[in-house]
Amino acid sequence: MSALVRVPGSAAVPLPEPTCGWQHCITCGDDGQPMAVLAVDEERGLALCSDDQGSHCTVEIALVAPVGTGDRLLVHAGTAIGHLESA
Amino acid sequence: MRFVDEFRDPELGRALAGEILSLVQPGRHYKLMEVCGGHTHSIYKYGVDDLLPANVELVHGPGCPVCVIPMGRVDDGIALAHEPGVIFTCFGDMMRVPGSRGSLLDAKAKGADIRMVYSPLDALRIAKQNPEREVVFFAIGFETTAPSTALTLRRARVEGVRNFSCMCSHVTIVPPLRALLESPDLRLDGFIGPGHVSTVVGGRPFEFIPADYGKPVVIAGFEPLDILQAVTMILTQLAQGRCQVENQYRRVVPYEGNLRALEVMAEVFELRPHFEWRGLGFISHSGLKLSDAYADLDAERRFSIPGVRVADPKACQCGEVLKGVIKPWECKVFGTACTPERPIGTCMVSSEGACAAYYNFGRFAREREVV
Repeated sequence: MSALVRVPGSAAVPLPEPTCGWQHCITCGDDGQPMAVLAVDEERGLALCSDDQGSHCTVEIALVAPVGTGDRLLVHAGTAIGHLESA
Repeated sequence: MRFVDEFRDPELGRALAGEILSLVQPGRHYKLMEVCGGHTHSIYKYGVDDLLPANVELVHGPGCPVCVIPMGRVDDGIALAHEPGVIFTCFGDMMRVPGSRGSLLDAKAKGADIRMVYSPLDALRIAKQNPEREVVFFAIGFETTAPSTALTLRRARVEGVRNFSCMCSHVTIVPPLRALLESPDLRLDGFIGPGHVSTVVGGRPFEFIPADYGKPVVIAGFEPLDILQAVTMILTQLAQGRCQVENQYRRVVPYEGNLRALEVMAEVFELRPHFEWRGLGFISHSGLKLSDAYADLDAERRFSIPGVRVADPKACQCGEVLKGVIKPWECKVFGTACTPERPIGTCMVSSEGACAAYYNFGRFAREREVV
């Protein structure tokens, strides 16, 4: 069953089940994925983000905070490791 | 698509290929190592090597985190997964890596509760949902992934999740590079530096390469034009007699790295005296373990782990491939006994592995016209 992420001011969003096709595993492959911030839960240090295909996921933002809605982050293994524009 | 389309522009690609051609000296052979498995994947996915002159050779480095995990470590994971009450969690590719008696996927088929996760946070969530079970996360990866594990362990500590622990197999990129540079097997002219590892560690850890070994390093992104531009920058340095660390991937990589990530890693991890790398053997100070402050979350201290060293299969030449000594297709079992569906060696498991990249995108050996 998918987990839910709750962001203040928005409805709970189901987290997608993890999938990892054999053609490409970005987590194992030390790859990062550009994602846009949709909402921020500062209290829990999490953000709801979307990739360019529209898939949503919850991302740990402790390493790049503060972030705001619309920021673009480099995400790896569920953790944002860098800002895209500010670098 | 922003940050993607502009780095796949065919016209710019042709212009860069032309510039590379103008930079190479006829008769000289250039051997450049792409350190990161992500680069290997992109090079063969987009056919970047076909745009290079025949005397510019790209050699694949040890930067695929799945490929460098030794068989004994997989066996240790499988033993842990068979412990009563344990839910064993790991990333997807890791499940298919062969140990001496099968893979984690085989162990799952035999009844062990092994679950694939996409992030360490998913493993922590499973622990919170199953308070009566012990949840172990098999942590692999370079400095790109280690901060994510560190933050998850810190979160587990803050939230008081006591049934969560980590079997830490994180590795660091600099010691194997130094080992490769010391290797008499390999003569390299320059390095395409790892883009996302550098997002965390920055450019400074690579400065020993030009300073001590006189080789240029260009930290690069993963799109085709990123890689072509990195090759251009390395060849420009060589042509001008310069030798330094340059950052092609400035849109993502700050030269000082991510200081907060380095801080949390320093809090949660410490260096192991030695760590075994598949094909490369034991390398000093190249692996991470949990620090004493996080000992209670260390699966290796919570459970009894066999820790037996297992020799690689004789037919497998992953070691030579990881060191760039042979090309994947030169391995005796490439594409026959060893395929992505039934891998013998780790380089055929992950799509970032050099063998899988060659196999998937059909880049078999062929002669190219020498300039």
